[in-house]
Amino acid sequence: MRQRPTSTAEPRLSAETQQNLFAYALVVPVALLLVGLVGYPLFYAVYVSFTNMVVGGGGDWIGLANFQYLAGSPVFASAIWNTVVLVVVSDAFKLAIGLGLALLVNERIPARGLFRSFLMLPWAMPAFVAFLTWRVLYQPIGGGINLILTNTGLYPEIVDWLGQRSTAMPAVIVASVWRGFPFWFISILAGLQNIPAELYEAARVDGANAWQRFRAVTWPGIKRVVIITTLLSSIWTANSFESVWLLTQGGPSDATMVFPVLAYFGMQTQRIGEAAAVSVAMLPALLILVFITTSLMQGDESERD
Amino acid sequence: MGPDSGLPGRHLVAKLAIVAAMVLALLFVLFPVYWMVITSLKLPREIFRMPSLWPQVFTGANYRILIEDKEFLVAIRNSLIVASSVTLISLVVASLAAYSMVRFRYRFKGLIGRLILFAYLTPTSLLFIPLSILIARLQLGNTLHGLIFVYLTFSLPVSTWMLQAYFAAVPRELEEQGMIDGLSRLGALFRIVLPLSAPGLAAVAIFTFTGAWNELLLALVLITSESRRTAPLALNYLITSDVLPWGPLMAGAVLSSVPLMILYFVAQRFIVQGMTAGSVKG
Repeated sequence: MRQRPTSTAEPRLSAETQQNLFAYALVVPVALLLVGLVGYPLFYAVYVSFTNMVVGGGGDWIGLANFQYLAGSPVFASAIWNTVVLVVVSDAFKLAIGLGLALLVNERIPARGLFRSFLMLPWAMPAFVAFLTWRVLYQPIGGGINLILTNTGLYPEIVDWLGQRSTAMPAVIVASVWRGFPFWFISILAGLQNIPAELYEAARVDGANAWQRFRAVTWPGIKRVVIITTLLSSIWTANSFESVWLLTQGGPSDATMVFPVLAYFGMQTQRIGEAAAVSVAMLPALLILVFITTSLMQGDESERD
Repeated sequence: MGPDSGLPGRHLVAKLAIVAAMVLALLFVLFPVYWMVITSLKLPREIFRMPSLWPQVFTGANYRILIEDKEFLVAIRNSLIVASSVTLISLVVASLAAYSMVRFRYRFKGLIGRLILFAYLTPTSLLFIPLSILIARLQLGNTLHGLIFVYLTFSLPVSTWMLQAYFAAVPRELEEQGMIDGLSRLGALFRIVLPLSAPGLAAVAIFTFTGAWNELLLALVLITSESRRTAPLALNYLITSDVLPWGPLMAGAVLSSVPLMILYFVAQRFIVQGMTAGSVKG
């Protein structure tokens, strides 16, 4: 640590000061860029949400008017509701599928490596490709889902999955589960593989059945991973723009409207103040999630040191 | 490994249940990918009038339409320029920062660490409005430079965060030995730490590249001229402008994902490591 840098000996500065300057010099570009590109824009968004700014012009301070307008707007209410539904329901399915498949792959099954690679495929595809593909799959004309359902006799009628209010949200959820479960799968699998085999042996010797072994050994071993994955996935799903935009653009009649899409529509109508207010209204909930996740993950990091 | 050797001493029923679960999972995962590929190879009349699991005629027409009429290769080129620039810049800048954070102790280090993680978790949907105003003020609107600049918002935090984990695993003694042998601090970083972290650098490079390759929202807000569209943007406008362009759309989907899928299968080990290092205790 206290090794003096040999090449840049500067007699007036102590070795420690030199080293500190060097350390700061290396980290300053990232720190400045992040303050400028993340910190400042966040505060600026909050400011804009209190103004009536339009595209290409300044704005006047109008206090809480944008938020009052949103509070009375049915679209905003459905955007919040839909965002919550999308996050909760799709996370629940991602957990169930991810955990189930991780437990399966953690066993000695045939062609395990290959199977694992295939399971990661939806995640390896770009998100926009995944959602455009599901858009085609759901089509009443030219879509694969209807073809399978009618051919196998599971459901005889052609359904416009994305075009009617009752099926649009479930359809969006299925597509996001498809794209999102591999991340859960691989994270939980990594957690499972860190559990020492002796623990299972000991539980078996004690006569624990499969469920008891899961409760006593498996779950404690992966709990932390599952919590962090849930938090990360919730933040990402709540903010996922592509999924809804490419599948339904928030339609039909706002049945799948979520807040990132609503904010984007707000920008398209040139009223930036209102659009920013949509994002800013979501800020408190997201900040809470982000702070919890940050402290959990930083805990990990300090343990690693 | 044969199926029998993999399942010692289990009942046939259990084996069948496992195989059934695997088949179901594979169908769920693979069917959309299959549909994307065959739709891209079908003639329009087949897509719309005779839906089937196997094309009656294979055609390259969708790819030709996409490339000749829609100039999709321009979009691919723009995406390549943006994604590789973002990757290169992030790797250099983030390596320096991550090295500083792993090797030195100084004031504000904890604060900077929190800022990086906070930035990593701050979603684009909260930032796209102020960023678009910022970029317009900097006169970078509707340019690939502007896009590269704003993509640093997500690529820098994730690269720095991941690289810290890889650098921390390089034994300090190796560096100290190198410096006794006459290397400077930077020399130790470039000659010792970076080469030893090569798998990590590969993972981070793939992550930043895919992140930039996939981004849609910021591109949608910042890019207005057709000649500067990235691949996701070009496909986005395909569904909003044409009537039911499923063939060319899926051709574009195949072209935009094939490079990444190959990359993924080749470098899978590094990617999975990096993915879990970024979020899960390794």
